[in-house]
Amino acid sequence: MKRMRRAERPENRAWSRALAVVAIVLLVGACAQTQSFLTSEDLAQKPANPRVLIMPADVELSELTAAGLQEPNAAWTSTGRSNVDAALDSLLAARNATVVRYDESGGAGSEAETQLLKLHSAVGGTILLHKYFPALALPTKKDKFDWSLGQEATALREPYGADYALFIYLRDSFASDSRKALIVVGALLGVGVQGGTQVGFASLVDLRTGEVIWFNRLVSSAGDLREPELARGATENLLDELPL
Amino acid sequence: MTSTRATSLLAAAALFVASCAQTGNIQKIEPGERPTLESDEGGLWMQMDRVEEDLQTSGKVVTDPDLNAYVRDILCRLNAGYCADVRIYIVRTADFNASMAPNGVMIVWTGIVLRAQNEAQLASVLGHELAHYIDRHSLKRWREIRNTTDTAVFFTFATGGVFGILAGLAAYDSIMSFSRDMEREADTRGLTMMRETGYDPREAAKTWQQLIEEREASDEPEKKSAFFSTHPAAKERSETLAKLAAETDNTGTTVGRDRHAATIASFRGDWLLDELRQRDYGRFEVLLDQLTEAGMEDGELLFYRGEMHRLRGEDEDAEKAVTAYTAAAESGDAPAETYRSLGLVQWSAGRTAEARAAFETYLAAQQDAEDRAMIEHYLQQMQ
Repeated sequence: MKRMRRAERPENRAWSRALAVVAIVLLVGACAQTQSFLTSEDLAQKPANPRVLIMPADVELSELTAAGLQEPNAAWTSTGRSNVDAALDSLLAARNATVVRYDESGGAGSEAETQLLKLHSAVGGTILLHKYFPALALPTKKDKFDWSLGQEATALREPYGADYALFIYLRDSFASDSRKALIVVGALLGVGVQGGTQVGFASLVDLRTGEVIWFNRLVSSAGDLREPELARGATENLLDELPL
Repeated sequence: MTSTRATSLLAAAALFVASCAQTGNIQKIEPGERPTLESDEGGLWMQMDRVEEDLQTSGKVVTDPDLNAYVRDILCRLNAGYCADVRIYIVRTADFNASMAPNGVMIVWTGIVLRAQNEAQLASVLGHELAHYIDRHSLKRWREIRNTTDTAVFFTFATGGVFGILAGLAAYDSIMSFSRDMEREADTRGLTMMRETGYDPREAAKTWQQLIEEREASDEPEKKSAFFSTHPAAKERSETLAKLAAETDNTGTTVGRDRHAATIASFRGDWLLDELRQRDYGRFEVLLDQLTEAGMEDGELLFYRGEMHRLRGEDEDAEKAVTAYTAAAESGDAPAETYRSLGLVQWSAGRTAEARAAFETYLAAQQDAEDRAMIEHYLQQMQ
């Protein structure tokens, strides 16, 4: 876990393909709860009062059709996003961190910051793909965790006065009535049919270096981001072993 | 087992009825109309809003204000009412394609703007895409997919998986034919808008005819273009559009060639290069022929014709390249690179004096040539 080279940036096309695989990886791992990676000697001693920049949480809630397609739901997503935001605020406060919110209004410097958000979703997806799916493990990254957003990420440090940036990605799906019926029919026939699933990942980036110093994946077949308490539980799981 | 099967069949049948009822009758969207957050349509909009956010900072989007104003102007002329609901993103990509998202994001590839020989041809594409928006085709398609796959999965369960593959194929077939119906609907509405705006509707069928010619000349005809994979039956559509256009008196309609040519002039070279880089020389040659026939030949187009021959490098290509470069040079508006390419071809053919002259002309014309050192090295080698 030494100083790192930059994470490879996947090609655009490769990236869209990767996203599809990520979805599969997340589903395949449905039995696991959370599994995190940590890379850094710096954090062995926890900073007393770190300033954490919370990036806009990428949350989407959808309904699962009988055939297993996901129909996005804007109202649920809006509720879920608010619940996750509130949970992040209180959970980080409990860890003595000062929360700084990313400015989503699109002011000065927002173009470069948007590119960082895009880069992070590419890097995060790549980590998921290659660290959580043994068959896809990269030979050069098998036994280490050394991903980075590159020096450009330090551009977030100054304007927000933050030490770390926290990125959250969450997807939650709920069985539609017809999916529920299919589950019943399946049970009668002895065939297991998956209901809604909650999947996500979180990563913490050191804004002095751009390194991804901590990464965690969450997969759960329970939970409901539409409910504040359950959203808090899911967020807590996601932040499990966060080194702050 | 039989009774279980019967139970599940009953359950499936009950749900099938329930899911059919949901499709409902989808009316066209009204100008300014927005779906509610709770609806399935609201979900589709939310997803595309995110895609749009990404698009806004994509390096592939052509932001030139004049070009964007031109394309937008055509759209707004076609239908002023929906003009404010649609955002056009011109994306730098070779090949012919455009798409319409449910939330009003229209993506137009530069390959389409390059291929359009006039305003009317571009209008035929924009009108077709706008029709997808007006008639809520994304929503219709989503509901069709949802219902069809739901039915297929219940059918599969009800028959104990025996007919699973058949059900899947039937579902796929149903979805594809549904898509083709929507394409026809969009063609018809698009053509009506063209006609009402005063664009010559006959140009719509020509756009298709040009595409078919390109495909037939392709070096890899089996490798269908991205466009044909989602828009089948091009021939049928071309014929239908031609027939529809012939039903009315088209005197007094315009095609708008000059404004189109003037607006894209400064981009055309880059876009031609994008096409050339696909390395499908047969197809590229037909594209050049079509633009030439449309009266758009100039030094730049001749230069790319030369490039096509030079890079293909088959039997008589070297000589054809020389002919094209020479014609380009004589036209007076050829890019400086014409002389560099001419020099390379002449040198390969052993005509050192001609090559030398061409390289020297290149260096004189391109004072800040990035490859000056290389060309000077060539000149030294020739001595």
